[in-house]
Amino acid sequence: MIEATNQWSIKDILPEDQILIEELLHPLGNNGRVTVFPKTEEEIANVLRYANDTGEKVTVMAGGTKRGYGGLTETADILLSLANYQGIVEHTVGDMTVTVKAGTPFKELAAYLAQHSQKISLDPAWPEYATIGGVIAANDSGPKRLGYGSARDVVIGLRMIYPDGTIIRAGGRTVKNVAGYDMNKLFIGAMGTLGVISEVTLKLRPLAKFESLVLLTFPETNSEQVRTFATSLLDSMLEPVSMELLSPSLSERLIGKNGYTLAIAFEDVESSVHYQEEFIKKNQPVHTDLAILQQQDARGFWEQFYKIGPSGAETTVNKETEASLKIGVVNMDVIKVIQESQTLKDSHNLVAEAHGGLGHGLCQVNLKGASEDVVSAIQQLRDSAVQLGGYAVVKHLPFTLRSKVDVWGGKPSHFFLMQGIKEKVDPNGVLNEKRFVGGI
Amino acid sequence: MAVKIKTNDKHIQALAEIVGSPRLILFHQEDLIAYDCDGFTLHKHLPKAVVFPKDTQEVSRLVRYCSDNDLPFLARGAGTGLSGGAIPVNGEVIISLVKMKRLLSVDFENRRAVVEPGYVNLKLTNSISDKGYYYAPDPSSQYCCTIGGNVAENAGGAHCLKYGVTTNHILGLEVVLPNGDIIDIGQNGIQDAPGYDLLGLLTGSEGTLGIVTKITVRILKNPEAKQTVLAYFDKVIDGSQAVSDIISAGIVPAALEMMDKTAIEGVEAAAFPVGHPKDIEAVLLIEVDGISAGIEEQINQILEVCKNRNVREVRAARDEQERGRWWANRKTGFGAMGAISADYLVQDGVIPRSKLPEVLSRINKISEESGLRIANIFHAGDGNLHPLVLFDARIPGQSEKALAAGSACLQVCADVGGTITGEHGVGIEKKEEMRFVFNDEEIIAQTNVRDVFNTKNLLNAGKLFPSPGRCVEIKKEMKAAAAQ
Repeated sequence: MIEATNQWSIKDILPEDQILIEELLHPLGNNGRVTVFPKTEEEIANVLRYANDTGEKVTVMAGGTKRGYGGLTETADILLSLANYQGIVEHTVGDMTVTVKAGTPFKELAAYLAQHSQKISLDPAWPEYATIGGVIAANDSGPKRLGYGSARDVVIGLRMIYPDGTIIRAGGRTVKNVAGYDMNKLFIGAMGTLGVISEVTLKLRPLAKFESLVLLTFPETNSEQVRTFATSLLDSMLEPVSMELLSPSLSERLIGKNGYTLAIAFEDVESSVHYQEEFIKKNQPVHTDLAILQQQDARGFWEQFYKIGPSGAETTVNKETEASLKIGVVNMDVIKVIQESQTLKDSHNLVAEAHGGLGHGLCQVNLKGASEDVVSAIQQLRDSAVQLGGYAVVKHLPFTLRSKVDVWGGKPSHFFLMQGIKEKVDPNGVLNEKRFVGGI
Repeated sequence: MAVKIKTNDKHIQALAEIVGSPRLILFHQEDLIAYDCDGFTLHKHLPKAVVFPKDTQEVSRLVRYCSDNDLPFLARGAGTGLSGGAIPVNGEVIISLVKMKRLLSVDFENRRAVVEPGYVNLKLTNSISDKGYYYAPDPSSQYCCTIGGNVAENAGGAHCLKYGVTTNHILGLEVVLPNGDIIDIGQNGIQDAPGYDLLGLLTGSEGTLGIVTKITVRILKNPEAKQTVLAYFDKVIDGSQAVSDIISAGIVPAALEMMDKTAIEGVEAAAFPVGHPKDIEAVLLIEVDGISAGIEEQINQILEVCKNRNVREVRAARDEQERGRWWANRKTGFGAMGAISADYLVQDGVIPRSKLPEVLSRINKISEESGLRIANIFHAGDGNLHPLVLFDARIPGQSEKALAAGSACLQVCADVGGTITGEHGVGIEKKEEMRFVFNDEEIIAQTNVRDVFNTKNLLNAGKLFPSPGRCVEIKKEMKAAAAQ
């Protein structure tokens, strides 16, 4: 159903059933006057080439979970959806690598790989909706980053479509590769501002033979005890794949226990996992509560966990404003961030749930409440993070509020290099305008 | 003029002023000879001078001076690079970072350390091992190579199968840009700083984007236990199948190394022989580490896998001494070729693991056709192959033959979906081979990035990318014209 008369050009590029004109503006922004659903790489390249030639602006999306992540333009000319650009291109079981089209949902990919007892060692939020391309473009990671690293550690190759339609391959299909610059790194986390990810090649890991999750809940008043215990654990021979501290509010919601909870995950051969569980039992701090979830139960916990934050793909309309922050600090300062988040409930009248990794220093704080309270809390959390030498990025916020808080928290001193790269790759500013740091 | 040196060259005088002492600059030809190449010795060129700055400010002032006066320059660490990245092909001023060799801080609680670029790789592990920590990237040259050089090359090592290469362990960098400006990325070692991942881009950029003057690295806790298995195979095909089987069994070894018959002959004739039989086609060195309770199960599984693949002999190391001997034998493998050949050329291809048998037989063919012996030492677990082409440079034509054979090996790697370098870098050695894996547009995409940092292309020019690449240059001009 195409009514607008000025869309003749895009109609020349794609069949009518791959073009949609959306009348309603999504409150999270990053809309397009016209949405296109390419099915092939060539179609994506043609759309970009068209935009590059005509001066139109393109925003990129697939599952939509990160629709509220950055972006200061409510509507681009074209919303390029990769939702129909899915599928596994090549999976070499013996090499433990997989090449996949960007629009493939993460969970679908994980389910496929599990049949071969393999996995991508990333644990992003909303895996049923989040696509591999989106996870890589936004550099999303979860608590198990402690054990397995993040996107930059598992992506070994990318097929990028530059704004002028050129296909640029970065990396390759081998797990080691230092031929030329490590261009993969530039595109990971670039929020689609340098090119459209067409295919992703990842190195895989074997599925863990056994997994368990130790949930250790500390009384709310004693954060020093958390720190002492976490430090001793990190200094031990244990090899947890996550050591995530949950705020009492989040702990209450997930496991019904109101206190700071450490979610310590082990994935290894069974004997090793039990050995590590025993170690924690033996060294359990006084006045703490300990629960161990194994196998299916542990997986069940994580499934719930990955749904705790707001998702841009959520269809139910919420009256309250939802926001989510990614805060990076030095590892042990995570405790301070989580503690401060817990105080927002009273100081700002907000629902605030937070978690952060004591081994990697990244936290996520989810907020819900009146918009002015949310904005004020974001500012407070950011000020604290900056004081700790870290940063706060707003991962999710309605469009109208994004101009009130700088989503990325200002420009780094070497911003001119980033700007220089953007100008070289996308001189016409076609892709994801104002989506990224410093208005890139 | 505070610094008294005998020169009529105003630039050399000016550089000497910056480092502040006649002892911190070399400019006489006899002193410069030691700097005419690095670990890649087939090309040599004299630098204009070598300067030894003491701190970041001096590096910045040296760089600014070179930039302002259009003097080509490059950074150098220990000079162990194997692809010629530190060879002054344009008569560069070499900024040697060996005087900047301090360990600045260690933060065990947050698992990181800050070092200067001239700090030697192994020293870091040695200085934190009493607390039970280590620095994971372990290139074979780790006893003398510098961490600054490791960052430039994105160095690997035997244990990167499980723990990753240098880039996976770098949390922050202080960098002097090619115009002399100093930037700090990954401040405080905090991960995922907003913006493009310049940390990842700079690591492995072979000293063409900036000079690293301070490095924040991740340090790891020693695994509770490790065990190493040695396995001898009569047929190389069985050895490579065993490699695949181990990985398919869901084991992630810390290291999985392989040497072929010629390589075994070399290491057994050199300084650290361990008594490998000379009539076998392949030896595997497999190391597993982690929680002690889980090691035995994995070792048993590995032994089983090897037995199923017609292993002649397989066993775990009896003790730490034996394990140490096995590793010394392997880690000195390149140098050991000196015991059976006057000269050797190391290559560094990477292949998808499953292509190993095919690639080995094609390398054999290259060896037969060239008449040169080729030994194979490789990180089999991650498909990183080091064919060592044995030759005698005194025989006219052999050097050229060796280079051609090395290049042919890389072509084979590229043909099967692999790449031309896994850890040694492109440098000048493999810049033409970049065309095996990248097309013109892809090379332009990379030089475009270089131009953002290295605007005058005075820093380490002529490395990494195919030269003059008429085709590339023309397309670039066309693009520039189209943009205007």
